[in-house]
Amino acid sequence: MISKVLIANRGEIAVRIIRACKELGILTVAVYSTIDKPSLWVQLADESVCIGEPPPGQSYLNMDLIIETAKRVGAEAIHPGYGFLAENPDFAQKCEEASIIFVGPSSKALRLVGDKVAARQTMWKTGIPIIPGMLAVGKGIEDFQAITAQVGYPVLVKASLGGGGKGMRIVKNEKELGDAIAAGRREAKSAFGDESIYLEKYIEEPRHVEFQVLADKFGNIVHLFERECSIQRRYQKIIEETPSKALTDELRNRMGELAKRVIKAAEYTNAGTVEFLLDRDKDFFFLEVNARIQVEHPITELTVGVDLVRQQLLIASGEKLALRQEEISQRGHAIEARIYAEDPTHDFLPSPGKIHWLKEPQGPGVRVDSGIYSGCEVTPHYDPILSKLIVWGETRELARKRLIQALKGYVILGIRTTVGFLIDVIEHPKFVEGETYTNFISKNMGTWKPKDDALEQALVAVAIVSSQTPATAKVVTAQATSPWQELGKWEMGGHGV
Amino acid sequence: MEYRFVYLGKTYRVIIESDEQSWLVTIADKEPSRVEVINSIPNCLSFIMGNKTINAYTIESGGKKYIFVNGESFAFEVDKGRASRTPGVAAAKGGENVVTSPMPGSLVKVLVSSGDNVEVGQTLAIVEAMKMENELKSPIKGVVKQVNFEEGNQIDALQPIVELTPIYPE
Repeated sequence: MISKVLIANRGEIAVRIIRACKELGILTVAVYSTIDKPSLWVQLADESVCIGEPPPGQSYLNMDLIIETAKRVGAEAIHPGYGFLAENPDFAQKCEEASIIFVGPSSKALRLVGDKVAARQTMWKTGIPIIPGMLAVGKGIEDFQAITAQVGYPVLVKASLGGGGKGMRIVKNEKELGDAIAAGRREAKSAFGDESIYLEKYIEEPRHVEFQVLADKFGNIVHLFERECSIQRRYQKIIEETPSKALTDELRNRMGELAKRVIKAAEYTNAGTVEFLLDRDKDFFFLEVNARIQVEHPITELTVGVDLVRQQLLIASGEKLALRQEEISQRGHAIEARIYAEDPTHDFLPSPGKIHWLKEPQGPGVRVDSGIYSGCEVTPHYDPILSKLIVWGETRELARKRLIQALKGYVILGIRTTVGFLIDVIEHPKFVEGETYTNFISKNMGTWKPKDDALEQALVAVAIVSSQTPATAKVVTAQATSPWQELGKWEMGGHGV
Repeated sequence: MEYRFVYLGKTYRVIIESDEQSWLVTIADKEPSRVEVINSIPNCLSFIMGNKTINAYTIESGGKKYIFVNGESFAFEVDKGRASRTPGVAAAKGGENVVTSPMPGSLVKVLVSSGDNVEVGQTLAIVEAMKMENELKSPIKGVVKQVNFEEGNQIDALQPIVELTPIYPE
C-alpha cells in the first residue's frame, strides 16, 4: 500500500482526495501556488509545500518541480486530480521514469486515448461504434470533401488533441467547409500546439452518456454504470445524473460491456470514463475516454456505494479489484449540480472575489464536495468551480426535489454563483420530463435573471437590515431580547423621508 | 424612511416604516406589505410577509449589502445620490468614454494604442479570468485617448482600461 501521496491539484478535488487518503491511512502532501496558501486543502493536508507563482505554468503545471517535490518529501505517488496534469502523458511518463506512482493509467494508454484520431482508429478496429467520419488527420480539403460526400452535412470539425470545445466547428454546408478547416486549425494550434484536425458527422440533439470503469493491473475490468451529462454550457457540464432516463436495462448492459471493451483495447488501467453520444434513435457512438477521476464521480458513488477515489488509490498501489461485475448494482437516483463562481445574469462571466459568508446545505441524502469556506478568497487564476452539491433519492423525482431544497439552502454571500440559475434549470418542465439534450441550456433557458418575488423579498430584507444596523456598526446580537430596542440608531440611507 | 438600492443597474425605491410590532414596507409603486420579523441574529433575518415565512441571509461588506433568499443571491448598493438621478438607470462609472472590464483578471491582449480610430463594437482588449476570455468592446466611435495598462497586467473590475474621445457624426 502507498504510504504517502502528493496531490498535484487544488480546490474541491484536492479536498476530496485528501479525505480518501486519510481514510486509507495514507499521508497527504498538498502543493500550492503563493495565492492559494490560505486554502482549505492546504489546511487539511498533513504536509504542504509552496511550488510557485499563481499562473498555472509556474506552479500546478510545473512537471519537473512537482516530481522533485514528491521525491524530496518522500511521496511514493502523485494523484493528479482532474484538469492540470491529469491527462498529460508526458507527466505520467516523467513519473514512471522517476519511479513515482502516477495515480492513473500508464503514459502509453494516456497517449493513445488523448489522441482522438488514434483512439478512433483503435476503437474502429476493435468493432466499437464510432461517429461516422475520418480515421486519419485531414490534409487537403479534398480529404474532408471525400468524407462529407459519404456522411452528409452537417459535420463537425474537431481538433485531434485536447478538448473543451476548442478547435471545434459545426459546418452546415460545402460553402462553410474551407473556412471552418482554417479556423479549426488555427484554434487547435493556439490551444494545443498542434494543428491536426479531422471531421466527423454532427449528431443533432444528442444525449451525453458516459460509463464509469475501473480496471486493475491484472486485467480485471468492471463498469459502474452510466452518468448522463447532457446539461452543458460552453461544452462544460453543469448538471449530471444517474441513471439516465434514456437507457433501458438492455441498452445499459450493452453500453457498459462495450465501455469495458474500449478500456481493454486501450490497455487502460485505474479509473476511467468512456463517453458516448446517444442519438434520438438510441444509436450510440464512442466519443472519447476521460482518463481521470471525473468531476461528476460522486453521483456514481452514491448510487453504487463504491468510493472511486479510494479505488484509484488501491489500484495504483497494485491491489486487485475486489469488485465483481455481477455484484455491482445501482440503487436510487443521484444528481449533481456544479457551483461555479460565475455570474448567470452576465453571460456566465467569472466572478472571483471574497466569500464573506457561507452556509452549506444539509439533510438526508445531501453531500457537498467543497473547496471553500467563510472568508476565503476565490482567485481569478483558476477554474471557477467552487463546489459540487450532490443528492441521492429513491427516485429521480425525489432526488430532483431534494436538490432544489438543498440549493435553496446553499448560501454563498460575496460573489455571484450559479445557484439560482441551477434551481431554474432543475425546475424546468423539460428537465422534469427528462428531456435532456446537450442543447438544453441554449434552447430552454434564454437570458436568465432571478425571479421577481425573490428580488422583492430581498429588497424587504435589505431595507430591514439597513434600518437595524446603522453605519456606526451597532450589531444586533442574538442575546438582544428584541431587535427593536436598537431603534433610534437608524442609518438615514443618504437622504431622509 | 426611504432607501434607494441599486441592483443590476436598476434603482429600487423602498419605503420602510415601523410601529412597535411590525414594519410596513413599500417597494417602488407597489402596495405596502406588512412584515413581522420573527428572528434577527447576525447574518440571518427571518420574517413573515403575507403569511409567508422568509429566511434571508445577509452580510455587508465594502459598501455592498449582500442578501440571499430562497436560492437567489443579490448584491445591493445603496444609492446615496439625490432623487434627480433617473430611476432605472445606473450611473456608468466615467461614462461611455471609458472602457472597463466587468470582471477582475489578467489583461491578455491590448489591441489598440493611443491615436487609433475605433468603431462601435470593435474589440479593444481581452481580459482573462478563470480560464475564460472576455472581449472589451468599444461602446462608441472614437479615437483612443489613452491605454492605462499593458498586456500581462492584473486589473480589477471597473478599472478604466481604455479611454476614448468620441467622434460625433457631422
